[in-house]
Amino acid sequence: MTFVNKNLLLLIIVLTSSLVAQSTLQQQFDFAKKLFTQEKYFDAITEFKRLQFFDNENQFSFQSNLLIGKSYKAGAKYDESIKYFVLSEMDAASDEEYFKAKIFNARTNILRRTTKQAERILNDLLIDQRFKSNEKEIKYWIGWSYIFSDDWEKAYEIFNENNLDTALASLCELVDQEKYSVNFAKYSSYLIPGFGQFYTGEYLSGAISLGWNILFGYLTINAFVEDRIFDAIIIGNFLWLRFYSGNIQNAEKFAVQKNLEISNKALEYLQYSFMGERP
Amino acid sequence: MIINKKYFLLYILIFQFTIYSQTDWVRWEKSDPTYQIEDTFLDRNYDLSIESASDVIVKPVINAYWFFISDVDGANCPFNPSCSSFLAQSIKETNIFQGTLMFFDRFTRDTNVFGRHEHYPRFGKKHLYDPVSLYTLNEEKIKYIPAKTFINE
Amino acid sequence: MFKLFFLITLLSSLLFSQQIDFSSPLNIKLFADYLFCDKDYLRAIDEYEKYLSVFDDDSIQFKIAVGYSAINDQSNAFKKFSSIKKTSSFYDQSRIEMLKSLYLQKIDSSYFLNADLLINSQSPFSNNAYRLKNSSLLLIKNDLPEKENFLIPFENEEKNNLSNFYDLKNDPPYKSEVWAGIFSAIIPGAGKIYTQEYGDGITAFILTGLFAYLAYTNFDHDHPTRAWIFTAIGAGFYAGNIYGSVASAQIFNARVNFDFDEGVKLFLEEKNYFTPTYDFCK
Repeated sequence: MTFVNKNLLLLIIVLTSSLVAQSTLQQQFDFAKKLFTQEKYFDAITEFKRLQFFDNENQFSFQSNLLIGKSYKAGAKYDESIKYFVLSEMDAASDEEYFKAKIFNARTNILRRTTKQAERILNDLLIDQRFKSNEKEIKYWIGWSYIFSDDWEKAYEIFNENNLDTALASLCELVDQEKYSVNFAKYSSYLIPGFGQFYTGEYLSGAISLGWNILFGYLTINAFVEDRIFDAIIIGNFLWLRFYSGNIQNAEKFAVQKNLEISNKALEYLQYSFMGERP
Repeated sequence: MIINKKYFLLYILIFQFTIYSQTDWVRWEKSDPTYQIEDTFLDRNYDLSIESASDVIVKPVINAYWFFISDVDGANCPFNPSCSSFLAQSIKETNIFQGTLMFFDRFTRDTNVFGRHEHYPRFGKKHLYDPVSLYTLNEEKIKYIPAKTFINE
Repeated sequence: MFKLFFLITLLSSLLFSQQIDFSSPLNIKLFADYLFCDKDYLRAIDEYEKYLSVFDDDSIQFKIAVGYSAINDQSNAFKKFSSIKKTSSFYDQSRIEMLKSLYLQKIDSSYFLNADLLINSQSPFSNNAYRLKNSSLLLIKNDLPEKENFLIPFENEEKNNLSNFYDLKNDPPYKSEVWAGIFSAIIPGAGKIYTQEYGDGITAFILTGLFAYLAYTNFDHDHPTRAWIFTAIGAGFYAGNIYGSVASAQIFNARVNFDFDEGVKLFLEEKNYFTPTYDFCK
C-alpha cells in the first residue's frame, strides 16, 4: 500500500513539474494581450500569430484577429488592420463580436479617409435589426465619418439628433458657420472681379485683380471702339481674359484654402484636445 | 451563399496578405498620423536676399512680378518650378545671359501643349516637373527622371 | 488502486493535450518556418535567432540570411551569409549570395575582388559569379573587355541578350549636341526635331517665325519701337531654341543611359542575379 502511494506521489510530482514548463493557449493569449496593453504592438502581433499557429481549433481566432487588427491600427498600418478586422468578422461567434469587428473596420476606414467605405459599413449596421440597440454608437461613428470627409453640416445634423453628442454638435456647427462658400466666392467674382477675394479677406489681392481687370477691360473696349479690332482681340484674349480667369481661380483658391485652415483647426482640436472617443 | 462569400473574401484577403506583408519587413512603433488635411496649393517663396550682383536687379523685379502679376493672373504654368521661378533659378545657377536663354527655351516648351504628360514627370497633383538642373549644359547635373514618375518634394 | 492510477493518467493526458511549450526549440522553429513561408521575414528571423541560441544549424543560418536578402537588408544578409562555415552544405550557395548582396549594395572594387575570388575558386557557382561580374561591367563607366572575352560565361539566349547590351554600351544611340545646335541655327526647331522633341521643335519654329514676321511687318509699316521689341523677342527665341536644342541632345543622351541601365538591372533581376532559387516552403 505504502509502496503504491509513494509511486503515485512520484507520478503526480513528475506530471506537475512537466506541466510548469508548458502554457495553455489562454496564457499565450494573456501574454500577447499584455504586450498589446503595453503598446508593444509589433511584438504583440508576433505573439498573437504564434497563438494562432498553435490554436488548431481556432478557439482564439476572433480575439487574436481583432487584437492584431487593433495593433496595426495603432501603428497606422490601416490596410493590414482592415484585413484582420474582416478576418475577425468572419470568425465572430456572436452578433456582439461581429458588431465589434465591423465597428473597428469602420473606424479604421475613417482614419484611412476611405469614408465612403466607412459610411457603407455603418449604414449596413444601421439597417440591421440585430443592432438596433447600438444605434447611438453607429450614428456616432457616422458623424465622425462626415467630419473626416469634411462635411461638417451633415456631421452637425447627426450629432445634434437627439443630443447624440452636444460637444461635437456645437463644434461641427461652428466650423460649418465659419466656412466660406466656395461657390459664392467663385460666382461673385464672375460678376465683379476681386469680389470673391474681398469676401475671403484677401483685400490686397482682390484690389490688384480688380485694378488689372478694369485696366484691360477699358483698353479692350477702347480698342474696339476705335476700330482697332486686332489690338482689341490681342489685349482681350491675352491680357484681360488672363486676369479675369486668374481672378476666378484665386477667388476659389482662397475660399478653399481658408476653409481648409478652419477644418484643420477643428481637426487638430479633435485629435489632441477632445476628450471623447476618437476613431 | 454565405459560405461562398466567406471563402471568396478569404481568397482575396490571402492574396492581399502576400502583397502587404512588406509592412512588417521593418520594425514599427505606435503612430498617430495627423487628422489634418494637406494643403496641396503650392505657396510662393518670396525671396529678396541679395547673394550676387545680378540679384540687385533681378530679385526685386521678379518678386514684384510675382506679387503684382503672377499671383493674380492664375496658375497658368503647368510646370514646377514656374517659368518666373525657373528664370530666377537659372540666373542664380548660371549667369544672366545663359539664364535668359534657358528662360526662352522654357517658354517655348511651355507654349507647346501637346504630349506634355508623356514627356515630363509629375510634381504633386497638378504640375509637371521641369527643373533647372536639366538645362545648364552641365551633363553631370542632369538626373534623368522618366515621364509620369510622381515626385513630391 | 488501479482505478485511481487510471484516472490520474487520463486526467494528465487531457491536460497535456492543452499544454504547448511555446518556447521549445521545435515549436519556435515550426512557427519560424510558418512565418518565413508567409513572407513575414523579419519576425521569422527573430524566431530563428532564438532557435540558434540553442542549436547550431547551418540551414537556419542560411534561411536567416535569405530572409535579410528578401527584405533588402543586404548588409545583414552579407554578414549572415559570410558566417556560414566551409564545412556546411550551404557554403557554396552562401558565397554566390554574398556576391549578390555586394552587387545590390554597391558595385565597387570590393565587389569585383570578391567576384574574381569566386570565379577562380572551385565553386559550382563560379560561372554564376562570372556572369554576374560581366553583367555588372555594363553598369560602370570603365571600358568593356573584348566582346569575345565578355561573352565567355554566357550561353544561348543569355548570350544574345548580353551581346545586344554590349553593342549598345559600346555604341549608344546618342544624339550629337553640336549637330542639334547647328540644325536649330539653320532652321529654328530642327535641332529639337533631330532629338525627337517634335512638338517643341514645331513650337520653336512657329514662335521664332511669328516674332520675325511681326518685326518685319512693323518695320515695314514704320513702327520702329514695336519692331525692335519684336526683333529682340524673336532673337531671344531664336537663341533660346539653339541653346534648348543642345540641352535637349544632352537630355536625350541621359535618357539613353538611363534606359540602358534600367534594362540591364531588370535583366539581372529577372535572372535573380544568377543565384539559385530556394524553395523552403514545399
